[in-house]
Amino acid sequence: MKLVNKYVDKNGAGHVTLRPEDDEDMWHLYNLIQEGDSVRAPAIRRVQNVSATGSTESHRVRLNLTLAVTRVTWAPSTSASAGDLAQAAESSSTPQNSTAALHVTGRVTSENPHVKMGAFHTLDLEVNRDVRIEKADGWDSIALGRVQESCVPGRGAEVGAVVCGEGTAIFCLLSEHMTVILQRLEVPIPRKIATGSSAHEKGLSRFYSTLYSSFLRHIPYANPSLRAIVIASPGWVRDGVYDYIMSEASRTGNKALLGARNKFLKVHVNSPHVHSLVEVLQSPEIVSQLKETKFAREGIMLDKFHKMLGTDEMRAWYGPEHVILAADRGAVGTLLISDELFRSNDAALRKKFVSLVESVRERGGEVVIFSSMHESGQQLNQLSGVAAILTYPLDVEIVEAEEREAKEEEERKAAEENGKGQ
Amino acid sequence: MSRHRYVRNIDVDEELEEDILSDGGDDLSPEDYELLMDRVDLVRATLGSEDQSGISDHEVKDTLLYYNYAVEQSVNWLLEEQARKNAAKERKAAKEREKAAKLAQSKATSPKIARPSAPKAAKKTAPSKSGSGTATPTRAVDQRQLDISALNLTAKEDAPVEEEPPKPTIALEKLLEEVRKEMDTQERSEKRSLSLVVIGHVDAGKSTLMGRLLYELGRVEEKKRMANERGSSKIGKSSFSWAWELDGTTEERERGITMDIALQSLSTPHREITILDAPGHKDFIPNMISGASQADSALLVVDSATGEFEAGFERGGQTREHLLLVRSLGVSQVIVAVNKLDQVQWEKSRYEEICSTLKPFLVQSGFQSSKTRFVPIGAMAGVNLSSRDSPESGALKQWYKGPTLVDLLDTLEPPSRDIMAPLRFPISNVFKEQGAGIGVAGRVCGGVVQVGERLRILPGDGTAVVKSISNDDHSLPWAADGSNVILYLTSVDPVHLSIGSVMCRPDNLIPLATAFTARIITFDIDIPVIAGASVELYHHSRDVPASISKLVSTLDRATGAVVKKNPRVLAKTTSAEVQITLRNTSMSGPSAQAPIIPLESFSNNKDMGRILIRRSGETIGAGVVLSLLS
Repeated sequence: MKLVNKYVDKNGAGHVTLRPEDDEDMWHLYNLIQEGDSVRAPAIRRVQNVSATGSTESHRVRLNLTLAVTRVTWAPSTSASAGDLAQAAESSSTPQNSTAALHVTGRVTSENPHVKMGAFHTLDLEVNRDVRIEKADGWDSIALGRVQESCVPGRGAEVGAVVCGEGTAIFCLLSEHMTVILQRLEVPIPRKIATGSSAHEKGLSRFYSTLYSSFLRHIPYANPSLRAIVIASPGWVRDGVYDYIMSEASRTGNKALLGARNKFLKVHVNSPHVHSLVEVLQSPEIVSQLKETKFAREGIMLDKFHKMLGTDEMRAWYGPEHVILAADRGAVGTLLISDELFRSNDAALRKKFVSLVESVRERGGEVVIFSSMHESGQQLNQLSGVAAILTYPLDVEIVEAEEREAKEEEERKAAEENGKGQ
Repeated sequence: MSRHRYVRNIDVDEELEEDILSDGGDDLSPEDYELLMDRVDLVRATLGSEDQSGISDHEVKDTLLYYNYAVEQSVNWLLEEQARKNAAKERKAAKEREKAAKLAQSKATSPKIARPSAPKAAKKTAPSKSGSGTATPTRAVDQRQLDISALNLTAKEDAPVEEEPPKPTIALEKLLEEVRKEMDTQERSEKRSLSLVVIGHVDAGKSTLMGRLLYELGRVEEKKRMANERGSSKIGKSSFSWAWELDGTTEERERGITMDIALQSLSTPHREITILDAPGHKDFIPNMISGASQADSALLVVDSATGEFEAGFERGGQTREHLLLVRSLGVSQVIVAVNKLDQVQWEKSRYEEICSTLKPFLVQSGFQSSKTRFVPIGAMAGVNLSSRDSPESGALKQWYKGPTLVDLLDTLEPPSRDIMAPLRFPISNVFKEQGAGIGVAGRVCGGVVQVGERLRILPGDGTAVVKSISNDDHSLPWAADGSNVILYLTSVDPVHLSIGSVMCRPDNLIPLATAFTARIITFDIDIPVIAGASVELYHHSRDVPASISKLVSTLDRATGAVVKKNPRVLAKTTSAEVQITLRNTSMSGPSAQAPIIPLESFSNNKDMGRILIRRSGETIGAGVVLSLLS
């Protein structure tokens, strides 16, 4: 993403103009734009004019519209993109096409010659078109942080991953903030039958060949920005898959694929489901390669939280109420929080989480904002979206009891004052 | 006018059905009669006595027989029928009044055809009014058809029903009778069938033992044994020659490891045993679970070589995990075969050491000590499998005088079979066989399945007709609860068949669920379970990603009383009630459909109500389904 223009005063009022460049920028915009914000972006609208004689003419007008947002919808890219990516990478190093769709619906708020004020419009945000965002409640630290983060040039690696089981394969593309599932492949393989029939072998070879063709279609192996191609599976499926891919590549003379041989990593995971991606990111092979990337860090942090839960339950807290209580006591060492919480349409709720993040940062704690487009973020969402590793052990029940007492104390005081007042 | 025609059609059907019913319904065995009377009382408890409800005992009985003694359904039907009768009565009265009025006006303009139909319809719709007729639910369907046809709806949906007239339902009674007889004779002849899963740590010698055992019992031809021997020594793995009998795929043979369940059968003097040889490697535990859920009893193989037994039994070893898994899946009998004693010079002390280490763990895992037996063996040389006559067993003979492995297998107690339960057939394998069409393998978990039946496949909308049933190359007319069989299907779209689907009768479908409550026990885990934890849910041959969405309460392990409500975490070896929700596996938001699996509460069907929970390659808990939420 490119930052075209930024005018934000010290109170947070102002606007930011951004130029998205790829799918991930779309994801950033989705996280930035909220209900109530005003967004200005180019749009095409069919305008109908009725002449004095009653005849109508309609034409399509390209114009800039400013909307007060009522709804934002997001759809991640579909499988078609990666194929284009591979081709694009082969021909020239043109920037990636975006296929993620981000639609912003709202009422028109600025005057213009073609569209009435208050008319509804849905903007289909596109790459390389400037978007100006003005926040209704002002720019908070989280939003500004995201703008900054999204504009860092040459950001992190992309990783292609194939999670396979016997007869199943899931093709994913991991980028800094997103895991996109490109395809789920399922080939029925008959299990072995006592009467040593060849059905199992036949099914297996059919599975390999389908997997190979999907691999060519989905994984942009020749793209230099792709750092690694992970083949993960329980058992030995990954060896079979890797051998098949390489033998097919040399049989068909696919030089690009043979050249990418050193990008391949075989990782052992325990189940052939998407959530094994977390295990992939925790495996030593990946950690050593991609330590600095955001998604690897997220995986490690979540693992740390779980381990802490195992070793010292009093230092691993989760759930918004509890974590806020811990933050009040200055106990939060690392805060794990999902970006989904900041997308909340309830301004008060968002503010609550923003202030939580700010207070933890003020006290020198570490904050990791998880992307809910990653598996680790999804798992954090399951745990209510927020968790914390504390610097010193705190017993939830004692803290809750303290809070209750404090509350009762307050109530009693209030009651006393009321009593005095009367 | 069209109504008139329908009435006539139905007239014939009705009469036919009545004949069939009176053929099939009346010959009840004494136990059945007792059961019936029992259920009649239950129904009466809800409906009130004959005078209060206006429903005769005869009707109640007929209904109960039709619904296979399901009280709830019967009550519902009876109440509906009652309402219908009252309505019909009123209708007739109204028509009578109308007719009278018309006659009084003596207007001849009304259509003549309509008139005769009115009383006729009334007669048909309220046959029980005369008191002699016995309303049966079969007729109720017709009644409903009649009502529907009056609405001028096309009855196209009924076409497939036409293909197979109510034959199966009625035949079911007879079939059950037959099955029961067969089971009685089986019990008397003392050649009873059961299934056995072979478990143990990787490389304990499970497949080798089974291969050797099959050979000893004459299930493996000499020619095949020679071929296996030659083949295995050719690739330098001659020690795997016995295992090759069960490890059929090339990959398994190359790696020298079992990867999937192998199904074989053997017969001892008093038992027909279906053997499920499970893989021991921890990556293939899903396959092992699929096998163990089809078994009644277990054979645990442990490696007695120095250090090997310890490796299998310590934390993370499969000896421990497999035992817990099979126990959680309802297996209560286990034979422990202490293998490879030849490697420790047949030392008695080693055998006793292993037994004494395992015994407390077995008891602690819930195996009664009366149902666990130990036997020392040497699988490779065939020592103490069926006999101790070979020269290699000289050392063992000196101190061991107990039964051989086959003797122990021969005394395994088959569990009771529930043939009255609704049919459930979870699919564990789908394959095509030339000439036979599509075959599905699995175990009948309740009820009886017979050739010619049309079954539903859930989840999904598929149906299939059972073309033939086969068990170890014998063709069977039916298969009852607890038998491991292959069903060959016809008129089925293969896309509906997937491993993990459940087949059942179209009139009694297994419920589908995405969320349910379960009572679980957590195993020896490092990381406690918290609300929202991502896990994998294992149910028969299916595994799906799920999350523990809510921790309802922790329970006392012995009494089941609630210890704490809404706990924050579940530590190790805790009994708890939790809510489990299947996870939406894609990250693209709400558009993706939630997965759904066939599941039943434990109280309805024990086999279909057991679940296992695993996380990152470790079994963290096992439990039973309490109720389905959605």
